[in-house]
This record gives sequence, C-alpha cells and structure tokens, in this order.
Amino acid sequence: MTTGALLPVFALMTSLTAAVIIFTLPEQKHQLRTAVNLIAAVLKLLLVGLMIWGVFQGREYGISFPMIPGVEFVLRADALAMLFAGLSASWWLLTTVYAVGYLEDSPNRSRFFGFFSLCVASTMGIALAGNLFTFFLFYEMLTLSTYPLVVHRGTQQALRAGRTYIIYTLTGGAVLLFGIAMLHGFSGDLPFRPGGHFADMSPDLQAPLTLVFVILIAGLGVKAAIVPLHGWLPTAMVAPAPVSALLHAVAVVKAGAFGIVRVVFEIYGLETANALGLLWGLAAIAAFTIIYGSARALSQSDLKRRLAFSTVSQVSYIILGLCLAGPVGVAGGLVHLVHQGVMKITLFFCAGNYAETLGIHRIDELDGAGRRMPGTSVAFTLAAFGMIGTPPLAGFITKWTMGTGALAAGMDWVIAVLVISSLLNAAYFLPVLNRIWFREQKNAWPEERQWGRFETSAWLLWPPLITAGFLVLAGLLASASFSPLGWVELIVAREVDL
Amino acid sequence: MIASPLMLMTVILPLASLFLAIRPQWQTIYRYSLPLLPLPAILAGLMAELHHWLELPWLLIGGLWGLDELRQTFLLLTSVLWATAGIFAVGYLETRKLRPFCLFWALTLTGNLGLIISVDLASFYSFFALMTFAAYGLVVHERTDEANRAGRVYLAMAVAGEMALLTGLLMAAHQAGSTLLTELPGAIAESDRSGMIIALLVSGFGVKAGLPFLHFWLPLAHPVAPTPASAVLSGAMIKAGLLGWLVTLPFGELSLPAWSNTLVVLGAIGALGGAALGLKQVRPKTVLAYSSISQMGLITLMVGAAMANMEQAATLFSVIALYALHHGLAKGCLFLSTAVELPTQRRFRWTLWLLIALPGFSLAGLPFTSGAAAKLAMKAELKLEQYDFAVAEYLPLIMTAGAVATMLLIWRFIWTLHQSARRGHNHPFKWLGWVAATVCSLVGFWFLPGARSEAGHSWFVLTPGELWSLCWPIVVATAIAAVGWFTRGRNGSDLG
Repeated sequence: MTTGALLPVFALMTSLTAAVIIFTLPEQKHQLRTAVNLIAAVLKLLLVGLMIWGVFQGREYGISFPMIPGVEFVLRADALAMLFAGLSASWWLLTTVYAVGYLEDSPNRSRFFGFFSLCVASTMGIALAGNLFTFFLFYEMLTLSTYPLVVHRGTQQALRAGRTYIIYTLTGGAVLLFGIAMLHGFSGDLPFRPGGHFADMSPDLQAPLTLVFVILIAGLGVKAAIVPLHGWLPTAMVAPAPVSALLHAVAVVKAGAFGIVRVVFEIYGLETANALGLLWGLAAIAAFTIIYGSARALSQSDLKRRLAFSTVSQVSYIILGLCLAGPVGVAGGLVHLVHQGVMKITLFFCAGNYAETLGIHRIDELDGAGRRMPGTSVAFTLAAFGMIGTPPLAGFITKWTMGTGALAAGMDWVIAVLVISSLLNAAYFLPVLNRIWFREQKNAWPEERQWGRFETSAWLLWPPLITAGFLVLAGLLASASFSPLGWVELIVAREVDL
Repeated sequence: MIASPLMLMTVILPLASLFLAIRPQWQTIYRYSLPLLPLPAILAGLMAELHHWLELPWLLIGGLWGLDELRQTFLLLTSVLWATAGIFAVGYLETRKLRPFCLFWALTLTGNLGLIISVDLASFYSFFALMTFAAYGLVVHERTDEANRAGRVYLAMAVAGEMALLTGLLMAAHQAGSTLLTELPGAIAESDRSGMIIALLVSGFGVKAGLPFLHFWLPLAHPVAPTPASAVLSGAMIKAGLLGWLVTLPFGELSLPAWSNTLVVLGAIGALGGAALGLKQVRPKTVLAYSSISQMGLITLMVGAAMANMEQAATLFSVIALYALHHGLAKGCLFLSTAVELPTQRRFRWTLWLLIALPGFSLAGLPFTSGAAAKLAMKAELKLEQYDFAVAEYLPLIMTAGAVATMLLIWRFIWTLHQSARRGHNHPFKWLGWVAATVCSLVGFWFLPGARSEAGHSWFVLTPGELWSLCWPIVVATAIAAVGWFTRGRNGSDLG
C-alpha cells in the first residue's frame, strides 16, 4: 500500500483521533483541547490540500476492502470528493476557531468538541466514500454525532429540537438504507463511477430503477431539506451558532445534497437519469423548495430562523442545477455547494456574534448594530448580498452559471425561479441590512458584554471576516483556475461526458 | 500605454479610500479627499488611448475594460461632475454622519465610473449594482421619514430593475455565446426572442434613466439626498441607464420601427409630462428632478429614432453623447446652486443669480451655450426625411414643445429657488465646487472631446434661422411665465 492510498485514511483519521483525544481530556484542560483541535484541523487542511493538488494533476487516491461478502468499504479521492472534502476541511478550521471563542466558559466543552470532531470526520467520510454503502455508514455516523451538538444546551427547546432532528434523520437514513438494499438486490455493489452504471440497461429495469431513485432521493432529501422533508431544519436552529453554521453550511444539508449528486452522477448517470424522466420531477420539487423556503423566510422575526428557511431554499439550488443536465447548469449547481456554504457560514457566524455580544436574537433588535459591530456587520452585509445574487459576489456566479445552463437546456422557466428567489431574498435580507446600518439604536442591547479591544472576541470576529473575504474572492476571481468555479469545471469535465 | 494603469486606478483609488472610514479620527482627511477620488478617471478620459483593451481574464466570468468615443464622453462627464460635486461636498457636509456619507460616496462613485469603462457584461453589471445599492446610502443620508420613504421606493424599483437586467443580459449573453457587451447587440438582433430581450433591457435600464412609469422613485430620491449627491444622481447616475441602453440594444443592426414608436411616445410623455408635473412643485430640487425626467425624455426621442434607422444610429450616438454631456454638467450646477447661500450685497447677488440661471437657460437652448450646441445637433439629426416610423412626423413638434416646457420649468425653478434661498456665508469649498461646476458647464464643455469632435461644426457662428429656432421657444416660455406671474397675483405657488 502506497502513501498515496493512505492519504484519504489519514485525512479521516485526523478528526477521529482528535475526537478520541478530546473525549479523554478533562473538562478544564481548555488550552490543550484547543491546541489539539487546531493542530488536527490544520493537519487535515494540509492533507486535503495535498490530495487536491494530486487530483488536479490527475492522480487518484483510494483504498478498499470487503466488509461483509458482497459489500466493500471504499474510500476514494476524486475531483468531486475533493470539492466536499475541501469545503469541510477549510470550514472545520474556521468553525473550530469560532467555537472556541463562542463556548468560552460554558460547560461540557469536552463533549461538545469531541462530537464536533466526530461530525467533521463523518463529513470527510461522506466526501471520500467510494460506494453507496460506505456513504451510508458515514451518513448515519453524521446523524448520531450531530444530535449531541443540537441538544448541547440541554434546554427544553433544544431537547425538543433534537427529538425532531433525530426522528427526521433516522427515518431518512432508514429509507436510504432500504433504497440501497433494493439497488444492491438487482445490481450488486455499485461503486461510484463517472457516467453511472445504467447507461445501457434493459428496458424492464426502468420501473424498478425509477422506484429506487425516488426512495434514494426521499432518504437523502431529509438532510438536504427538500420540502416537505425540511421540517427539522428550522427547529434545529436552537443549536449553538457554530453548530448551526456547520449544519447549514457544511455538514448536514450538504451531506444530503452531496449524496444526491453522487446518486445522480455516479450511480444512475446524468444522461440515464434524464432519459428516465427522473430529473424533471426532481427539478420541480427543487424549484418549489427554492420558492417555498424564501417565502417562509420572509415572515420569520427570529434572525436564525430566517436564515434557516433561507438554507432550505438555497440548498435546492444545487439540486436544481443538477437537473439542468448540461455541463454549464451542473457546474452552477455544484459550485453552489461551496458558495452557499461560505455565504451561509458567514451569516450564522454573524448571527452568533450578535447573539453572544449583544444578546440579539430578533431582527427588530438589530437597529443600529452596524455602528456597534462594524466588522461583523460588514461580513453579514456581504453574505446577504451574496445570497441575493448581487454581482460580483459568489452568489452571482452561481446564478449566472445556472441561468446560462438553464437557457442551454431549454429550461427557461428556471430563470423565472431564479428571479423570484432573488426578489424574495432581497425582500428578506435588505430590511435586515437597513436596520443594521440605517436605523438608530432604540433601546439598550438586550445583553451586552464587553469582549477585549475589538467589537467582540477576536476568536469570533476573524472567522466571519475570513469567510466574507472568501465569498468576495470566489466571485471576483471566478475565472481563475483555483476558484471554486474553476474546480467545478474540472469536475464537470471529468464527470459529465456530454 | 497609460490607459491600463489609469483605468485600474479609476476603480482602485475610490475603493482604497474606504480604508479612511475605519477610524473616526480620519474622517477629516476623508472629507478633503473626496474631490480627488475621480481624478484618475478624469485623466483617463483626457489622456487614455481609445480602443485600448485591458484584459482581466481571471475577473468574474472574464473581464475586459476599455474606452471608445462614447465611453470617453460619458467618463469625462461623470468624473468631472463627481469631482466638482466632491469639492462642493467638502464645504457642504456637516461633521455628523460624515463617515457613512464618504463611504457611500466612494462606493457609488466606484460603481458609476467602473460601469463606464467596463466592456464585459459581468464587470458592467457588477459596477451597476454597486452604484445602485451604494446610492441608497446617499438617498437616506438625512434619515428623515421622507428620506426613508424615498429610499424604500428607490430600492424596490432598483431591485426590480436589476432583475429585468439580469434576465435580459442572461438571454442576450446566451444568444451571443459571449460575455462581451460588444457582442450583445448583434446577438439580440439575431435572437428569435429579441422583442423580449429588448423589453427587459429597455425597462431594466429605464428605471435608472427615469423612463416614464418607471420613474416614480426619481422625484422622491433625487431631491432628498444631500445636495452634492443630488447633483451626481441627476447629472451622472441617471446617464448610466442611458449608457446601458446604448451599449446593449441592437442599434445599427436592425430597423425596429415598433420600438421606435414606443420609445418616442415614452420620450414624449417623459419630456412633456415630466415638465408639466415639475411646474406644480414648490421645492427647487424637486423641480429639477422633474426637469431631469423631462430632459431624459428628449434624449429618449433620439434613442427611439436610432432604433429605426440603422444608418443614422452611429451619428445619433455622438449627438446623444453630446446631449448627455451638456445636460449632465448643466443639471449638476443647477442642483449645487440650490445649496448656495446668497451674498448680502445687492450687486453680487445679481451676478450670482445670472450665473445660477445660465446653466438653466442652457438647458432651454440659449444661443452660445452647450444647450444650443446639443439642441441644434439634435434638430439636425432628427430630420423627418430620414425616418419612416409612424410617430416620426411628430418629432419636431415634440422637440419644440419640449423646448418651451424646459424654459418654463427653468423659470419655475428660479422662482422656487428665489422663494427658498437664504442669505449668508458660504464655506469656501462650496463656492469653489459650485464655480467649478458652472465653469465646466459654460466653458469647459467646449473643450471636452465629446463636444469638440461633434461634426466639426462651429457652434459660435449661427445662421439667423438657427438663432430664431433657438430663441423663440425661450421668448414664448418667458412670456407665458411672465403672464402667469402677473395674473396669479405673484403668489408663486402655481406660476406657469
């Protein structure tokens, strides 16, 4: 076994090892824990960077061994895996920094960071999984490791949210397993493969394949928060801000969306899925979710709840992009995996900053917050404009690429969906920005705390500033080969042979 | 090759100035640096080689910046106006909310200048959006209920306009298979959905250009902004919509008489309706805002004519640019003069009134002013025999009525300004800014490339016919205004 084959394993092990060490550390060893966290996160970022470089040069890393007869455990680093792994590794580092600041002096930090690392290990596994079975293993591990994070505060509300979360996701997982088993039943163990496995299937497989597709999407759709399976997401926003950032931006919803990408691209094959007429149904559901999520976001008065419904809407951009079934549209969808991640993580970091520094939870408490917390507010503003799709930010690149893809595919109605969604995004983000920057502070902040020489703790301030910088650069430098769009175009060139 | 660094500096300098907003102690430096921000753009307009393209392949979806004759004129107009308004702003601003003002000023300026030098669609659209959203900060600067309301209307219409633009640009770029603006007109002409694309672009840019029925935000937002911001809103930013039309619509590619009819009718409604509504206003800045709608209506006539006649489109463009240059500079002065306080000595006051009124008379086409040059060029180009779309025969009538309406509106402006003007002391920078703007409008205009190149015509030698055609609308309007003034018992509120 070469070191190349071991790279994915190492990448997985860094977070797992960190988890084990942190669980065994005593609660008060704050600095040691932080050091372990940061070292592991940096190490993983380096490993993933190394793999990305290798994959860019055309190398593939992988390892596989049989688990039970007929079922293999496969880890494989391809271009698509690196998209998700890169996302996960970079935001793990930032979220760790943020969480250290956020949870300062709160109880049960060992437990929190332990499960946090497990959660990140799961996402790494999801990214690198080379077949549906391996994917499922890590998918369920993600469910189990995020539950303690959602209920971390232990309040009634948190426990209720945790219950909803676990019911939704476990049911989704069961449905997914059922789908995988059915698929295994008539075609054996299928590794993920560009172009899929059913390019020339026999006609009598059509009906069962369609059924299995519906089941798989239903299972994955829970985490991807496709309406009507989205109910857990707005409830789960009671979790601490770094958890929300992770749930919404990187781990959970993305795991669902990424699973759908794998199933459509590498199990069924884009062309086959399209020929079976499966993408039409998926596109319709995604379009409905986009509009529905935005419309619901409008009426929320709690900042994090508004952001949660925004996530419901934005994640379906990824799915809608796939359904455009052409190289450009697909690129638009895939790049949103990164773009939505960076924008939403910024928004949740900022929401957390407002909550921790000023005690602000409701949108109408934000009046004049820009003056008090300019750095956070600038980051929030950039991310909000990105969500609306204003050029030159990341969201615009998504919208433009998807729009071009829709026209190329002859699906003009998608433009209408994009426009309506942008209008709704403007309608629920611009009033918030207006309050932050243009209203005078009315009352004292609900619960202000002074935190060092900046507007808030530096641990809390830097992560959103960095992600905000990233979302500007992801848009401005979209045509550079190292941009998310550049990487996605590489994936599309390798995956979609259209 | 001085063009590339100048174009880069045009955008980078105002963006870099944002760092001055970081610390409250630096706000005085920021205030005094406002006039300097458009300097690279002025230099680019005067010195940069035309048709030199700066490629930025990594930018957005592929960037290309550069200047041609049209963009050069727009760049000079915009940068000169921002510079003079910037000087004025130094004297005008209070210390309260100084930092946010400077910040939004610099951002809006970046957008307004950047969109002019953009030749690729994504840069253009980005700068356009930056200007649109940053200008909100200027509109609501005073934070009064009125300003907030105006800001809301402005933002709602602007977002709707942005969406129309996005859809239109997406469809056009898809058809063109390119993201360069230069490729769009030809592609739109070939598209089987050209009607829809044109409608989207006309309305999307029309929001900014104050096209009738898309203009509702304009008379609310232009007057409530701080005066130097009003000047650039009405003088420069309104022209961004016009430039958008000129660089995207399929002029010279197709003859589209239906669109000509539509635009000429809309232009006429804007020119005459805007003036009619303006006459009922009591605040000088609102009168000026309606005057902008009216003047943009006149320009829309030319845009409409250019849609019908493929051969004429190129020459019409230079006239449109000339008119835009004239109107922008004159309107800028007029807006600035609303915040100039009158001197206490009588004879200075008279000189001042004359200088305030001259750019106004120029709008009405007073001989030997920039307006006379623009109007004569316009008249020469809109000769009947060149056009055969349905409403073309009404063009001379609309132009004449427009000239009379313009002059009436100027009298209304002078009257309302006279009612509201205060006597007192002006900050030296206010004087300097206003004088600079006035000099640019009355004298500088003639030396700018856009005016110099126009057909080699010597505007200072007028035939008796030309003189008559320029003067009689002024005389008639003045007579009507005088009659109105005397018969309504000099109370002024419904003069004209």
